[in-house]
Amino acid sequence: MPLGSVLFAFVVGALICLVTGANPVDAYSGLLCGGIGIACAQGENSALQISNTIVFLTPLITTGVAVALPFRAGLFNIGAEGQLIAGAIACTAIGVKFSGLPSPILLPMVLLGGMAAGALWAGIAGLLKATVGAHEVVTTIMLNYVAQWLLRYLIIGGPLQLREGTSTSLPIGHGARLPTLLPSDNSLIIFGLPASVYRVHTGLLIALAAAAIFAFLLWRTSFGYEIRAVGQSQKAARYAGISVRRTIILTMLIAGAFAGLAGAIQVAGVDHNLTDMYFSDTTGFDAIAVALLGLGSAVGIVVASLLFGALHAGGSIMQSDAGISSNLVLVLQALILFSIAANFVGAIRRGLPFGRASAELPPELPPAAGLMSEAAVPPPEPT
Amino acid sequence: MSALGDVGQLLLTANLWQAVLAAAVLLLLPALGGVISERSGVVNIAMEGMMLTGAFFAVVADLAWHNAWLATAVAIIAGGLIASIHAVVSIQFRADQIVSGIAINIFAAGLTVFLVNRIYGLQDIGHIGPTEGLPYIDIHGLDQIPFFGKVLFQQNVVVYLALILLVGIHILLFRTRLGLRIRAVGEHPQAADTAGINVFLIRYSAVISSGLLSGLAGAFLAIGVSNTFVPNMTDGRGYIALAAVIFGKWTPFGAFIACLIFGLGQAIYDNNSTIHISPYLLSMLPYILTLVILAGLVGRSTPPAHDGLPYVPGSE
Repeated sequence: MPLGSVLFAFVVGALICLVTGANPVDAYSGLLCGGIGIACAQGENSALQISNTIVFLTPLITTGVAVALPFRAGLFNIGAEGQLIAGAIACTAIGVKFSGLPSPILLPMVLLGGMAAGALWAGIAGLLKATVGAHEVVTTIMLNYVAQWLLRYLIIGGPLQLREGTSTSLPIGHGARLPTLLPSDNSLIIFGLPASVYRVHTGLLIALAAAAIFAFLLWRTSFGYEIRAVGQSQKAARYAGISVRRTIILTMLIAGAFAGLAGAIQVAGVDHNLTDMYFSDTTGFDAIAVALLGLGSAVGIVVASLLFGALHAGGSIMQSDAGISSNLVLVLQALILFSIAANFVGAIRRGLPFGRASAELPPELPPAAGLMSEAAVPPPEPT
Repeated sequence: MSALGDVGQLLLTANLWQAVLAAAVLLLLPALGGVISERSGVVNIAMEGMMLTGAFFAVVADLAWHNAWLATAVAIIAGGLIASIHAVVSIQFRADQIVSGIAINIFAAGLTVFLVNRIYGLQDIGHIGPTEGLPYIDIHGLDQIPFFGKVLFQQNVVVYLALILLVGIHILLFRTRLGLRIRAVGEHPQAADTAGINVFLIRYSAVISSGLLSGLAGAFLAIGVSNTFVPNMTDGRGYIALAAVIFGKWTPFGAFIACLIFGLGQAIYDNNSTIHISPYLLSMLPYILTLVILAGLVGRSTPPAHDGLPYVPGSE
């Protein structure tokens, strides 16, 4: 089903291109080139494109986990973006403040600091949900905006600003930086380019470990069982003696830690400072598509991250080579979401005379639907 | 605290409250749409995208035809069209309504910028002429009342329209047979269906109405308050409108009160030149306010019983 949804999105995306006078072949070959390094019109270096895709997919995996885990508890974390920014801010603040410390001390500090900040950000939403029943969709959206404005304040006129007139933070210390996977040595030539241009960094390994931890936590621990029980039915979970409140708060804290880690990895591995690029970052929203497309499994999340990482890396090449706005990628992403959520593919199959009538409605989504009806009622605790 | 003193000074000016009402109306229109949609049982977090779509098409149409009224009509229709996607996906295909809403918002953000580049090339969309926006109208006589005249009767035409819509939608929902049907469909669609009400028709109309209202809000933003289209220019207003719906307990006037509070935060930010504090910190105000309000109030409000649940004919 996920593959069909992606196909559906590309077909409709091609139609949108045709209607607006853009050439879909140019658009998609641009995406292919920027995404996986094939069909390059301007002779771009394939290895470099693949490296860029991996850089994009790294934070997507961790934020994908940050959305997928609450999904299992019936919670909709739209706030991964804000949690990511909180993590990036904490990582930068610590990395700037203690820039003199050696890597074995400072690197764990910035990564853990990022996780703590993300957990705090998501924890607010979890706490509000568990105590007064404030819907996490609304609270996490608000927290996204608070994080974005806090970021602007900090790097424009605030304490992290590089110097007057810039919208960039001070750089983090060398000890706070994640090493690249390839040696940063200009004399070493890999695939025709000096090794230092490849930005692929060890954050990828951390992200893959995060996906593995997610799977372990969900399926091999009693807390994972509690998360799934709460997601299936709060009432049944309560009868089984599970504290729904505790599960909600802990789930959000852990999810926020994953998203915060994504932000910390992005700063420590790629950017080494905060820039205004973080204002328009959409990783946390892409993560929703990643979690849905990956059907909430660790492997699925990694594969879906690869797809969206490739799309985003491809978008910029499509824009520069074919002159088609990289925003087409957002359109494709929305189409994929529509298609997964509505199971268009199943409907099309049923409508075709030779189609198999196997696909069923409603689609197999994590149990987030119907939340609004429970939204306003705080989960009561047994006394 | 000089910053607090500055805000206090600001609060005494009619200019500020005039801006508060205008900012509140920008939120009220999508919020009214949200109230109608959610009362019929369809969760709508897509007002943001519908409003953005309206804003974009208002500017495109105004640049093409130099007529604000025509442009507003186009924006309203565009809002309705994009809302119908949400309707089809979540009513017909019974998709998760939150996912569908997010998809609408991403779709609108991507499509508008994509289209700017298709139509105008990789540059700015351009500005509409000074006389081609939605007009500000002073109500003759009443606008001379000290303080209140400026606040209430020197406003954009959309502000007056929105206040009329506020009263109208309140009456529609709570004083007419159609309103009773809309609420019945949101509370208990099975019972409504048994009573001969067309659940799908009501829900489709309600969701599309939310698009029409959000489209109007987009037009007000783009060719009333502003004079151009900027990517993501709605800046979360659709989401704040959603919070206003919840804070207002799914009623038009309740939502309006919430919109006024958020509008106050927005207006203080917009008039920040007299306040000695980072405008970026001030910008957080409406969002933090939302959180505080939600923390204090939501537990005591109850949404329509079947809000968010797709209706499957024949189910129990």
